[in-house]
Amino acid sequence: MTRIVSIHSFRGGTGKSNITANLAALAAAAGKRVGVVDTDIQSPGIHVLFGLHGDDMVHTLNHYLWGQCEIQQAALDVSERLGTTVSGSVFLIPSSMKSGEIARVLREGCDPRLLTSGLRRLAKALDLDLLLIDTHPGLNEETLLSIALSHTLLIIMRPDQQDYEGTGVTAEVAAALDVPRTLLVVNKVPPMFDAADVRMRVAQTYGCEVGAVLAHSDDVMALASGGIFALLQPQHVLSVALHELAVLLVN
Amino acid sequence: MPDTPRDDLRLLLGDLQAIASPLQTFLEELYERLAAMNDGAVANYIPELARANPAWFSICIATVDGKVFQVGDYEQPFTIQSVSKPFMYGLALEDRGRDDVLRRVGVEPTGDAFNAIILDEASNRPYNPMVNAGAIATAGLIGGSDPTERLNRVLAMFRRYAGREILMDAAVFTSERTTGHRNRAIAHLMRNFGMVEGVIDETLDLYFQQCSLLATCRDLALMGATLASGGVNPLSGERAVEARYVRDILSVMYTCGMYDYSGQWAYEVGLPAKSGVGGGIVAVAPGRMGIAVFSPALDARGNSVRGVRACAEIARHFDLHVFEQQGDAGRLRAALSGRGG
Repeated sequence: MTRIVSIHSFRGGTGKSNITANLAALAAAAGKRVGVVDTDIQSPGIHVLFGLHGDDMVHTLNHYLWGQCEIQQAALDVSERLGTTVSGSVFLIPSSMKSGEIARVLREGCDPRLLTSGLRRLAKALDLDLLLIDTHPGLNEETLLSIALSHTLLIIMRPDQQDYEGTGVTAEVAAALDVPRTLLVVNKVPPMFDAADVRMRVAQTYGCEVGAVLAHSDDVMALASGGIFALLQPQHVLSVALHELAVLLVN
Repeated sequence: MPDTPRDDLRLLLGDLQAIASPLQTFLEELYERLAAMNDGAVANYIPELARANPAWFSICIATVDGKVFQVGDYEQPFTIQSVSKPFMYGLALEDRGRDDVLRRVGVEPTGDAFNAIILDEASNRPYNPMVNAGAIATAGLIGGSDPTERLNRVLAMFRRYAGREILMDAAVFTSERTTGHRNRAIAHLMRNFGMVEGVIDETLDLYFQQCSLLATCRDLALMGATLASGGVNPLSGERAVEARYVRDILSVMYTCGMYDYSGQWAYEVGLPAKSGVGGGIVAVAPGRMGIAVFSPALDARGNSVRGVRACAEIARHFDLHVFEQQGDAGRLRAALSGRGG
């Protein structure tokens, strides 16, 4: 059975795609078969973390939604890009980076039935252990559908006033959609904050399990999405925290 | 119907939850499998029905808690034809009461074809309200001071069941009315025995009108779900028929709803159901759901080929047969609300 995990944040810029790519790589390093789907059709970007450019992608989620290819054809095996230490596999289903193709989805919308059956078919065809769905910030139909499909929802937030209210909205929707497990991840926490205190207050405010409290890191910023941080610097305190979070998701 | 922003959220999330459910995946796989079946032929006794595309196909399920699962051409309107009969029977029961209706129309399966000219020799009654003779007699029992009022009451009833305005296909009505010689003969025969009162042409018109009502597969599923939940539409919360008559409606559907296939249907599928020559079938799992299938290719008895198969497979997979006592209720529960694998 494939565990489906949606990764969401109410606002943009929380580090959602970066965390998703790292979790995928860490789960694959533990021998898992992992799918990563970029349903952020309006502003895709997770492919960059795997060293891909828009031109590298022949078939994308967009082409599947238009009936131009099977969902499996849009899956890129990016495992080799992660290095030899990774014994499992990561398959990426990117969204198109062509402005015309983004516009077409915006104009025509996206059939939620097609997206659902595509994700289920993908999980079966690639025999995935874990399917990570990188969602669009805020609430839209694809995002709500992804949450409805998920066994686990990961909500990424920063310790920022703008994120507090929105996170509450996502948590409320997750409860209404009967998501079995919701995990909060607080990211980009200023180093002067006490992590244990942040964890306790967030857990109290939202009544959800806190998966990780991740400190802001200049080392991550310096990498600038140029690779998978947790694989490049496995001993880094942040990588250790991401590893613990990956273990929470896989088990 | 949504009247507050919270309802909007609830309805949107409900739709998406249905789409994400394992039941939706089950229906899509069933749809793909049965879409490959090309047996049967569309009804051709009037040109309007012969124009139906035999490839049209939809399966819908509406649960008593208001979740709707749909696949295929669920927005394609078609005339409900005989699917109207049990609902008209319910309205007649409300207007006349059980005893009066029973004096005019029996509840005995005939084993004959839907258009048989046959009355119970002892009582001169039509055998049941699901054959044409019984349905025409039933149409004659609908209350109202003139044809317009009677038609409007019928339309209002179907609106309550489906949760939206139900319209009539004028071309089909005109065609049925011009070519319905056999039904006209049945009506006059009953008139001869004094079993139909009033102006025969008005009663026949109402019968032809009820057959010419346009609905979608989704509408039929909601109509079925309304019967499954004691007469209350699960989405609108509106009562469509008095609770005490739901039992009567479901009983005649169970014993007579599938024409001369009713016995085998009751044995194999085990759900009250009604089919129509437009290709629609509605089945009711009491307390659980309405199941509707639309596919215009019919078998020799006048039932939708894919419709019979789809209902049978759904009922078997989820142990819905009304007499099933060793079923696994967990399977349906998991399919409705679980995440699947």
